[in-house]
Amino acid sequence: MESSAYITLKDVVFSRSGRRIFDGVSLSIPKGRITAIMGPSGTGKTTLLRLIGGQLKPDSGQVNVAGHEVPRLKRKALYTLREKMGMLFQSGALFTDLSVYENVAFPLRVHTRLPEDMIRDIVLMKLEAVGLRGARDLMPAELSGGMTRRVALARSIALDPELVMYDEPFTGQDPIAMGVLVKLIRDLNSSMGLTSVMVSHDVKESLSICHYACIIADGKVIGEGTPEQLREHPSERVQQFLNGEPDGPVPFHYPAGSAASDFGVTGGRA
Amino acid sequence: MIDRIAALGRRGLDIIASLGRSGRFLAGVLAGIPRPVSGFPLLVQQLYSVGVLSLPIVLVSGLFIGMVLALQGYTILSDFGSEAAIGQMIALTLVRELGPVVTALLFAGRAGSALTAEIGLMKATEQLSSMEMMGVDPLRRVIAPRLWAGFIAMPVLAVIFTVVGIWGGMLVGVEWLGVFDGAYWGNMQSAVDFVDDVLNGVIKSVVFGFVCAWIAVYQGYDCVPTSAGISSATTKTVVYSSLAVLGLDFALTAVMFGDF
Amino acid sequence: MGNRTIEIVVGLFMIAGLAAVLFLALQVSGLSPQSGGDRYTLYANFNDSGGLSPRGRVSMAGVTVGTIESVTLDKEAFQARVSLSIDADVDNIPADSAAVIRTSGLLGDQYIDISVGGDMESLQPGDTFYSTQSAMNLERLIGNFASGR
Repeated sequence: MESSAYITLKDVVFSRSGRRIFDGVSLSIPKGRITAIMGPSGTGKTTLLRLIGGQLKPDSGQVNVAGHEVPRLKRKALYTLREKMGMLFQSGALFTDLSVYENVAFPLRVHTRLPEDMIRDIVLMKLEAVGLRGARDLMPAELSGGMTRRVALARSIALDPELVMYDEPFTGQDPIAMGVLVKLIRDLNSSMGLTSVMVSHDVKESLSICHYACIIADGKVIGEGTPEQLREHPSERVQQFLNGEPDGPVPFHYPAGSAASDFGVTGGRA
Repeated sequence: MIDRIAALGRRGLDIIASLGRSGRFLAGVLAGIPRPVSGFPLLVQQLYSVGVLSLPIVLVSGLFIGMVLALQGYTILSDFGSEAAIGQMIALTLVRELGPVVTALLFAGRAGSALTAEIGLMKATEQLSSMEMMGVDPLRRVIAPRLWAGFIAMPVLAVIFTVVGIWGGMLVGVEWLGVFDGAYWGNMQSAVDFVDDVLNGVIKSVVFGFVCAWIAVYQGYDCVPTSAGISSATTKTVVYSSLAVLGLDFALTAVMFGDF
Repeated sequence: MGNRTIEIVVGLFMIAGLAAVLFLALQVSGLSPQSGGDRYTLYANFNDSGGLSPRGRVSMAGVTVGTIESVTLDKEAFQARVSLSIDADVDNIPADSAAVIRTSGLLGDQYIDISVGGDMESLQPGDTFYSTQSAMNLERLIGNFASGR
């Protein structure tokens, strides 16, 4: 049973500073499901999210979100589309001069004309969903890292979006915070019928909750499928990544000259 | 050798590209003029942090500069027996030149660098990005109010600086050095023309305010989003603003007070 | 700081600015409310107009009664033709008054002082001063003094 695709990328090519970050990437992200996009550091996973969100334009190829061709959208249409998206940045990116309550209320105040008591209800509901209703008057500087991310999550779902994107949600979190986030991502996805896209290099956590995953390396998709399919994937590269093997298609040694010449050993056994 | 020339050329092209970016940036900001009703609180907030918080340094500097002008001026003028002209000397110097220019330099140092650091920090912590992703144009919400605040606050600060300076000059000239009070103000009034001097000075400070605010805001927006990048951007703001102010001052003075 | 407080403070800031501008206008540049009054023009021809320039002062008995409008060259008479703009309520300048160029202070600006005559009739708008005294030429003075004249 295949859900229809909410996001499709077709032959996307994107370079920056002379480096080809995406070299013909095609993937589709199903609606209503949690999709994980994984890969080694620096493959441009965050760039992918920015392409989906329209912050960057691909050199060529199509980026289609909910039927809209994102790179071609005019500014106003793009901003309207973004109201249906929520994004959780790696650092949380809370507005430092606003309290937790004001941060979550921000999208509501900007995009809607709801009366103050309705905004209050919505903000408190979202904070309750992430378990931080009691922290509403704290300032971002007073929050721990995990709490910051939860508030940012509450803010990203304030407008009840259709799509939520998570940029490295598990990086640098302690086990409890990790557990909390995993629970939240899973519960929110099912209770709100969201399409969730997670960008991560944490294999264990990502595979434990996602319905579908894509592995990107060297600017191309090297493997995709359900977690079970990926575990059986024939590609060595995929297996090395999934199992965390230190040496394999991605070598342990950075390319270097001969060890013999560096250590001044001549005529010895290499 | 060829490499060095190529590097120089590349640097020149970088600078031109940066100017172009800043021009496009400015167009984007001006197009997103804060909505008169909903944007007003943002503007007021920025006027406070950019204008009101710069008052202490402006007041103190104005006072001291006025007093020094009186001291130095008295020494020089007494050689000609023209101490009575001290009022007009101080007033003209402040109204035409020092008021707009020194205030602009102080503004660039205090308010400009603060603006750059603030915006740079917002960029580095991805607050600007997240605003974009929420469908809010950061140019309109964050940048434009700050630009307009600088544009409005600068002339106000310059005028206050000038007045405090003239008053400080009076303190030293009249109270301490004994210049006749009536002469101080009387000579001043006959020498200073409202349209030619005061208004021109205000026009200068409006131009300076715009340029300093633009540079400050652009450097913050365009900086490399790391702590090193932010500090480099802050330095650039102060340096570029100062140079721009001094250069523009020469051009404006030539046009306004020259005989063209 | 509450929102309200900030708004009030900013309002005060702007008022301070306006007050400063007002101060500059009135106290510093001596802008007076009735400077837009009616005026009429008189002319004076000088052999040497010295440092006279438009906007210079015109005074009578030490009181400012007008300004210099323009200084042009009369090509036929080879004289400087200065037009003066006099306040309308100073309408009784005797017709034989002289326009004298004076310097304020030793190094100051030059201005025109009207030396009052005794005629019963007054100068009418558009009239020219009968007698004028040109600018004091410092070099000529020193020359005269040095050669014992």
